[in-house]
Amino acid sequence: MSRSLRAMLRSPLVVVTGVALLWFVFTFMIYPNAVMLKEVFAPQGAFSTRAFEKLTASERAMDSLRNSFVLAAVLTVTVNVLGVFIVLVTRYFTVRGARLLRLGYATTLVYGGVVAVSGYTFVYGENGFVTRLLLQVFPGLDPAWFSGMLAVVVVMTLTGTGYHMLFLSSALARIDHQTIEAAQQLGASPWRVLRTIVLPVLKPTLFAVTVLTFLGGLAAFAAPQVLGGREFQTITPMILTFSGNPGSRDLAATLALVLGLATLLLLAVLNRLQAGGTYFSVSKVPTALKKQRIGHPVANGAVHLAAYALFLVYLIPPLLIVVFSFTDAATIASGDLGAGGFTLDNYRRVLTDAAAYRPFVVSVGYAAVTAAVVIAMMLFVARVLQKFVNAVTITVEYLLHIPWVLPSTLTALGLIITYSVPRLPVGETVLTGTVGLLAVAYITAKIPFTLRMLKAAYASIPASLEEAATLLGAGTLHTYRRVLLPLVLPAAAAVSALNFTGLLDDYDTAVFLAHPLHQPLGIAIQNATRGEGASDATALTFVYTVLLMAISTLAMWFVYGRNSGTGERRSRLRTRGRTRTGPPVAVLPDTVTAGTAPTARTTQTAPTG
Amino acid sequence: MRRTLTAAVATLLTATLAAGCGSPSGGSGSDDPETLVVYSNSVSDGRGDWLKKEAGKAGHSLQVVDLGGGDVQNRLLAEKANPVADVTFGLNNVYFEKLKEAEVLGAYTPAWADQVDAALGDATGKRFWPIVREPVMLVHDKAAYPEKGQAPADWPDLWTKEEFRKKYEVPTELGGATTQMVLSGILSRHRDDQGDLGVGQAGWDAVESYFEHGVPSVTNTDLYARMADGKVTAGQMWLSGKATREEQYKIRTEAVRPETGVPMVVQQIGLVNGTKKAGAAKKFIDWFGGAEVQAAWSREFHTAPANKGALAKADAGAVEETDSFTEQDIDWTFVAARLDRWTEKIELEYLPN
Repeated sequence: MSRSLRAMLRSPLVVVTGVALLWFVFTFMIYPNAVMLKEVFAPQGAFSTRAFEKLTASERAMDSLRNSFVLAAVLTVTVNVLGVFIVLVTRYFTVRGARLLRLGYATTLVYGGVVAVSGYTFVYGENGFVTRLLLQVFPGLDPAWFSGMLAVVVVMTLTGTGYHMLFLSSALARIDHQTIEAAQQLGASPWRVLRTIVLPVLKPTLFAVTVLTFLGGLAAFAAPQVLGGREFQTITPMILTFSGNPGSRDLAATLALVLGLATLLLLAVLNRLQAGGTYFSVSKVPTALKKQRIGHPVANGAVHLAAYALFLVYLIPPLLIVVFSFTDAATIASGDLGAGGFTLDNYRRVLTDAAAYRPFVVSVGYAAVTAAVVIAMMLFVARVLQKFVNAVTITVEYLLHIPWVLPSTLTALGLIITYSVPRLPVGETVLTGTVGLLAVAYITAKIPFTLRMLKAAYASIPASLEEAATLLGAGTLHTYRRVLLPLVLPAAAAVSALNFTGLLDDYDTAVFLAHPLHQPLGIAIQNATRGEGASDATALTFVYTVLLMAISTLAMWFVYGRNSGTGERRSRLRTRGRTRTGPPVAVLPDTVTAGTAPTARTTQTAPTG
Repeated sequence: MRRTLTAAVATLLTATLAAGCGSPSGGSGSDDPETLVVYSNSVSDGRGDWLKKEAGKAGHSLQVVDLGGGDVQNRLLAEKANPVADVTFGLNNVYFEKLKEAEVLGAYTPAWADQVDAALGDATGKRFWPIVREPVMLVHDKAAYPEKGQAPADWPDLWTKEEFRKKYEVPTELGGATTQMVLSGILSRHRDDQGDLGVGQAGWDAVESYFEHGVPSVTNTDLYARMADGKVTAGQMWLSGKATREEQYKIRTEAVRPETGVPMVVQQIGLVNGTKKAGAAKKFIDWFGGAEVQAAWSREFHTAPANKGALAKADAGAVEETDSFTEQDIDWTFVAARLDRWTEKIELEYLPN
């Protein structure tokens, strides 16, 4: 038995939670998926290779699969470049109006999916504003110029930077300014400081968001479907079609497994890279990061220009969605705001329809419960996994990534097939037809993301803080509560907010598992767009989206906005004590600074507290 | 840090409380022995609310679950061992054939069985019964083909005649019931027991040409929006969808009437096997499919009832329009047994990309 394992087993708390976790992992991640995979690949008991043969013979499937991988690979580069740029512009360099810019860049946190894609087609599509402008300058231009791989990459890059906004900003705020000052005094150029001091500290977070970006690229659905055109379709639409067709689920599962294995491979590589480095530059008495002025006037101008151009690119699509939610389907299709009048009818219809508010309430309920449960579970689990590295924890960590290997549709099927009859792991009860089953599915689905981000947060805390607390006589729990927890809370809050907003419009899981009497919003939206009747469905989707954006913004405000006041005061106090020209204060993700501020104080007071 | 914690806890508590308050039906609903759970793909646009209200007057307490056709089917199949639904209606023959095959449906002969043509429903059993008929059509923009004889006269014209190539819309995903009916209509013309999946090579070639020469549909953009925009001139549509969209997009369209006829979709109703409320469910089926309610449904939602007793009081226009189409002779049992494999083959081999 390894030393780490022995040390781990000495803690009764770890053992008890470990057993509970293993039960959860087996009952809701392994067992149902095993039942489902057996049903899919060997319904009569004998394994069949039909799916492989069908798929490899299909040129379309192979092309789509290749496109998914190409897209994922390209996005890991483009999203990281853009994401790092907007974080630096809003957090690191002195740029005028950074607060405003941040609001614009943060729009990707509250809207996404097919509606975000429609937003971009309003600007660059065949009837889009920019296209019309371009046609006046270049009459020979193909109105459908914005399609294919380029369009998909552009839209997904722009909408993919939300994780950077939250987590990279948070990591950046943890850099000790004294290190930068020291480097500057030694004559390092701003570029060198950025490259050798700032970026290395961001590495664990960059790894984590890279995994997410890669996953997002592999699972791309809306953008390729709407903008990909004939030559750039990806594999997820095909997976969804096949999982909806009972006879073709083996094809869906096979394709999903290919994507899942690729994800696991990437995780393994990044885990190895992450394990090999030290990534923090937080001293025991850290000085808050000060914004850097860009000395070169041309470079400064260029950065400002790029930042504001991006701001417009980010802001206009969601603005147009809000505007178009007040029009009708014909206006939306033509993109011509001059043609139709504005109306409140869409909103009246959604808000006065007796059944319309209920899905919102159900979705908010599920999202809130899921976010709370997942974060409660993973705050502890991530810490244990990060602290004890042995065969058991490594295995458990990989098992916790199962939801990333199989798409939600298949996981939902597994749960319903397995638990529609009494089963031993859940005390011989039946789970179908209960409100709990969907919650279980949501919780498992959010575990990998939460675990990843929290592990990255724990990884960026220097071990010396904990050692200091231990030396001063604080117990493990006490140290955790007073030293570690405060440091990861900002990340935890960000993760919870994202988990919450991400679940509000879920459809794939809900369609199988939702209680018939408590149907969430995703199903209502899907029904509105199904277009089997008289309703002005396109406009209704926009209304639902605008309301969703409002709820998401509210959630983000609860996590960040409430504290921005205190954060502001604190950081002013802090900066006043050290220097007059403190950093302008964050509007949105400011818990980051608010949360890190007490670091030194907490550490110092730990023994007496 | 304490503030952060407090804020986080407060947020979650508020949200949870909000969620808790928002579950007014806790304790009632499906736990109520008399409330029936009805799965349907045919209750949007106020139909579900109307149904609940009218059923309530007649003493039936309903909980209507609104889902897409494929989703209703998948839920019913997945919940087979422990059904949540008591009754399902709205899906067409093909879906109901598959549900019957999977033993998801219970046997029941409604009180109005002698008022409907049994051949429209379950040909060999008593598992599902017809309620509403609806033709699936090829429609074209009248403005694009003003002269008589210019427009396509049948589906194969689209890909065999040069003038229609790249003018008509083809679906990009095959899960929709209408799309599956169109494909069933094309493939059924080439039934060949020696051919791949019961279809001769000519049939597969037709499907290949259909997709090759069509303009792929765009997610979230209606066919009628694209016709109004001049991007395409023809595509698939069902009867009640045509009327509403013409009004919505301000264009006039016409349905093609091929000699072979059009796939006539017949919505069915069935009892879910293993329901614990079989008595109430049967009473509901007797009430809903009866002449009185079907006539009212027709007047309210522009449909042609299958119940002959309802015709006198039904929406005459909807009935007349439906009857003006020849029904294509399609062996639904044959189609139902193969449709999944057909769509899989088309998905893998013939869809554009």
